[in-house]
Amino acid sequence: MSEHEQRTPVQLNTVSADDPRLQPAARRPELVEKVIAVTFLAGIALICGFGACYWVNAAPWTLGATFGGGLTLMGVGLIAWGKYLMPRGPFVEERHTLANSEDDRNAFAAAIVERGGGVIKRRKFLGGLLGAGMGIFGVVAAFPLIRSLGPLPKGTLFHTDWVKGTYLVDITGRRVHSDDLAIGSIVTVYPEGLENTDNGQAVDQTVLIRLSNEDFVTQKGRETWGPQGYLAYSKLCTHLGCPVGLYEQELQLLVCPCHQSMFNVTNGCIPQFGPAPRPLPQLPLQIDAAGYLQSQADFNQPVGPGFWERS
Amino acid sequence: MKRRSRVPLIAITALVVAGPVLGLASAAVASTNTYTRTPYQTGRLNAGTPNSTTVVKSSSGAIESYGNSAITYTAPSPALTTLGQSLFLENCASCHGTAANGVPANGTSGAYPDLVGLGPATIDFWISSGRMPAADPRSIEANRRTPRLSQAQALAVAAWVNSLSPSYPDIPSPNLVSANVSDGAALFALNCAACHTIEGDGDALAEGTYAPSLRNIPAYQVVEAIRTGPGNMPRFTGNLSDFQVADIVKYVTTEIQHPQNPGGFGLGGLGPVAEGFVGLLLGVGLLALIGFWVGERQ
Repeated sequence: MSEHEQRTPVQLNTVSADDPRLQPAARRPELVEKVIAVTFLAGIALICGFGACYWVNAAPWTLGATFGGGLTLMGVGLIAWGKYLMPRGPFVEERHTLANSEDDRNAFAAAIVERGGGVIKRRKFLGGLLGAGMGIFGVVAAFPLIRSLGPLPKGTLFHTDWVKGTYLVDITGRRVHSDDLAIGSIVTVYPEGLENTDNGQAVDQTVLIRLSNEDFVTQKGRETWGPQGYLAYSKLCTHLGCPVGLYEQELQLLVCPCHQSMFNVTNGCIPQFGPAPRPLPQLPLQIDAAGYLQSQADFNQPVGPGFWERS
Repeated sequence: MKRRSRVPLIAITALVVAGPVLGLASAAVASTNTYTRTPYQTGRLNAGTPNSTTVVKSSSGAIESYGNSAITYTAPSPALTTLGQSLFLENCASCHGTAANGVPANGTSGAYPDLVGLGPATIDFWISSGRMPAADPRSIEANRRTPRLSQAQALAVAAWVNSLSPSYPDIPSPNLVSANVSDGAALFALNCAACHTIEGDGDALAEGTYAPSLRNIPAYQVVEAIRTGPGNMPRFTGNLSDFQVADIVKYVTTEIQHPQNPGGFGLGGLGPVAEGFVGLLLGVGLLALIGFWVGERQ
């Protein structure tokens, strides 16, 4: 009995009935009570209105207005209740001492030493099972993590869907004709048949720029790659794979919006500024007999950012 | 005798038929030759060039206007040429030269842009957007500002420069009634948003240049910019039809220039960072103040 008393040192009878701390905060509690009642009644009306609006399938804004208004009024009433009608306080309740008495602790330690050895040592088998379960769970839990990384990229790291004779089409699937673009124009092109489909790869996207009316050579060894001034470069930044879509036709720069890598269009998109480590791969172009643009082959290098196996 | 009399009849008939045919054919050849040499032209129908569906010619055979139901391109009146030359000499020639070839008096070739053969829309865009005459001819990018010349004066200058070597595109006038703002948004995202941002506010580019904001630009100037590619902007010609350009213009003049901003504040279109900052500062701040008030001790 004495132990129990020791743990609840605050007595309820320490506050007398006429203590000012037990009085409500409001000077005229009856009036506040009425106001709160009106607030609650209005809130109830609005919530009922919400039900009615929902029932008759009314306009969405009426649902929002009645539901939101009803909850707001109920909340206001609740807060006013708490603030103005509840006892003013403050009340202080002293915490009992946390520590057990010296005797209790000694008795507990003695009990563990007395019984413990046998009780705890006997559960090796269950412990092993528990450990095995958790270990297997850890391995299995890694499956979705690994799967969320997506399918293995396999060949798309090295090869895109551009092959010899693939027609260049815009996003609508229209083939690009050599008469289409004026000098200084740019258009994003895709391999024909793969635009806007699930089969098309992100690695296929390519920017087509017309630089001149004459065949344009960006680097030695690329003499036939830019017929009639058409140049095609991979749209994937070699830094982190952002779409390099910002073409500045006076400066002849392709700019990546993510980290401001800049590629010089006239000399094979060698990076001129920024974190990109390699030039944008160029797609060799040719023009068929009817004047439509085709690729001569795949990109001259793997497109996009670097990866482990890339030589 | 009867047989002999037929010969001149046949000859006369042949002449009467062949004359206009040959004349028309030669006129057609001549009119096509006037624009095939300029760099702005594409073979694509409805790409801002006189390869459009409707071409209106004057009695002398000059193209007065061309286009379709989406955009009509009208040539500035040749009657403005004299006024245009005097305006050019007064406002432009100190840099571009009296022949508009980019060689000022005592200057060297190539110091300033050669304007010959650029087409009326290019000249009109640079003047009517206030970029020319330039505030600072040495700056890397001319800023948009209040135009020095009126719209009519800009047209006159365009008429004179174009008279030196007629070219295209002419002054566009888009008809947005049947344009599709949804398609325009998709085309804007694909072709324009990379530089101008999806909100149309523009952004910084390489070497001190920037893509300007599209918030306060008349519809015809949007078409002029798309078709002529002013400054560092690429030129969009054969890859966008006039109908697609009208879609883009409708998106720019409605959604970008009059954004709906459901929350009430656009916050400059700066995106989720700005919105999150305001949400934390104002929203959470307000909630915290209310919380303090609710829990306040008397």
